[in-house]
Amino acid sequence: MTTHGGFEPVFCTVVPPHVLDRLARNDNPALSGPARRTILRDSELRALRQVNTEYGLLAAPTAKAPSDQPLRTIYDAEHGTSLPGTKVRAEGQDPGRDATVNRAYSGLGATFDLYLKAYRRHSIDGDGLALDATVHYDEGYNNAFWNGEQMVFGDGDGEIFVDFTNSIDVIGHELTHGVTQYTANLTYNGQPGALNESMSDVFGSLIKQYSLGQTAAEADWLIGAGLLAPDVTGTALRSMKAPGTAYDDDVLGKDPQPATMDEYVRTGRDNGGVHINSGIPNHAFYLAATALGGYAWEKAGQIWYDVLTGGELSERAFFTDFAKLTVQAARERFGSGGEELQAVEKAWEQVGVRIL
Amino acid sequence: MRIQVSRTGGFAGIERRAEVDTSGRPDAHEWHALAERAVAAGRGVASVGVPDGFSYEITVDGRTVYAADPRLTEEQRTLISRVMKEGA
Repeated sequence: MTTHGGFEPVFCTVVPPHVLDRLARNDNPALSGPARRTILRDSELRALRQVNTEYGLLAAPTAKAPSDQPLRTIYDAEHGTSLPGTKVRAEGQDPGRDATVNRAYSGLGATFDLYLKAYRRHSIDGDGLALDATVHYDEGYNNAFWNGEQMVFGDGDGEIFVDFTNSIDVIGHELTHGVTQYTANLTYNGQPGALNESMSDVFGSLIKQYSLGQTAAEADWLIGAGLLAPDVTGTALRSMKAPGTAYDDDVLGKDPQPATMDEYVRTGRDNGGVHINSGIPNHAFYLAATALGGYAWEKAGQIWYDVLTGGELSERAFFTDFAKLTVQAARERFGSGGEELQAVEKAWEQVGVRIL
Repeated sequence: MRIQVSRTGGFAGIERRAEVDTSGRPDAHEWHALAERAVAAGRGVASVGVPDGFSYEITVDGRTVYAADPRLTEEQRTLISRVMKEGA
C-alpha cells in the first residue's frame, strides 16, 4: 500500500464497485487515477485478507492510510515474566508516577518520530503497527529484548546494569529489530546476525541524535550510555566511534568488539558473535557519517535505510553484500560524482570490508 | 550433582557462567528435583532465540541442554537464577 499523507481521495468502502469501475474508465485522470488506485488497493487488501484468513496470521487490516501518530501501550510485568503484563499507560494518557513507564513511552515516541520524519516510515512495519512495551520484567533482569511482537525491558540488578529504559538508543535498538524483521529479516546468526545487530545500533544511535538535535560531530556514538551501574568501569556497552573501548571492568571484562575485519572474532557463542562483530559495520557507518558531516540520519542514515528496506538485501547477507548495496544506494540517491559515494566506499575500505 | 549454567547473548552480549555442586548440601534433594525438571524441558540443540534474548546452556552431571528467553519453563528460570545467585 502506498502512503500519501491522507491527501488523496479515498473511495474505499463508500463508493459502490460499479461506480468505481466507471470512474476508472473516465478520460479525466483526476477522476480515473484515484479510482484505479482504489480498485488496485481493494484487490490487494482482498488478497491479503484471504491469505490472512487462510493462514490465520493477522487481523484484517484497515483500509485507511496509517496515521502520523504512534499508537503506544506500556505494560508492567510487575517483576514477573508473563507478557505483556498489566496495561499502565495508553496512547495520549498523561505521564504517571513511574519514571520507567514514562521513559519507555517517550522512547517509543522518539523512535516513531525518526522513522516517520526522516524516512516517511509509519511505525515498525511501515503500516502503523501499534507499539507495545513491557517494563519491570522479571527481578533484577539485566536485559532488554524484542520478542517478535513487542519490547521487553528489565530493571537491571543495580550492580552491573541499571534500568534498561535509561538509554533512548536501547529503546531505538530494540524497535529497530522489529523494523529489520519486517524488511530485510536478516538471520540472527553469524555475519547476517551481526548486520542485524548493527542496524539496531545504527538506528538506535540515530534516534538519540535526532531527539537531541545532534550532528555527527556532536554525537557520542555510544550504545547504552547510562546503562552501567556506578561501580562498573566503563562509559557504555558499545562504541561505534571506537569499538572495543566502551568498558574494561574486573567483573564485566573488556569490550570485545573489533573495528576492522583483521580483528573479526570467530566464535560459536552469542549466535556466532552477533554482538561482537557488529562493531565492524557499526564503525563503517560512523566513518561514513562523520566524513559527510551534518545530521547523520540525512545522508549516511538514508543510504543505510535504503539498503535495509530496499528489498535487495538477502536474509543471509554478509558484510561485503551489505557494503556493495550501500555503494549502489549512495549512487542511486546522491549521484555517481557525489561525496556520499566516496565517503561510503572509503568507510568500508577503512574497516577492511572489500566490495567485490 | 554438578549443575552448571552458562548464559550468552543479551543486549550486552556479555557471557556469564556459574556452577553449584550439591554434594553435602542440606537442600541437595530440592536442587536435584529442580535440575531434573529443568533438564527434561530443555532442548538437545541450541536454537537461535529472539534478538537480544539470553541463550542458556544447562549442564547437569555432564548432560547439556539448551534454552532461550523468553521461552523458559518456571523450573528452568528458577534453576538458572539460583545457580547464578548462589553458584561460583
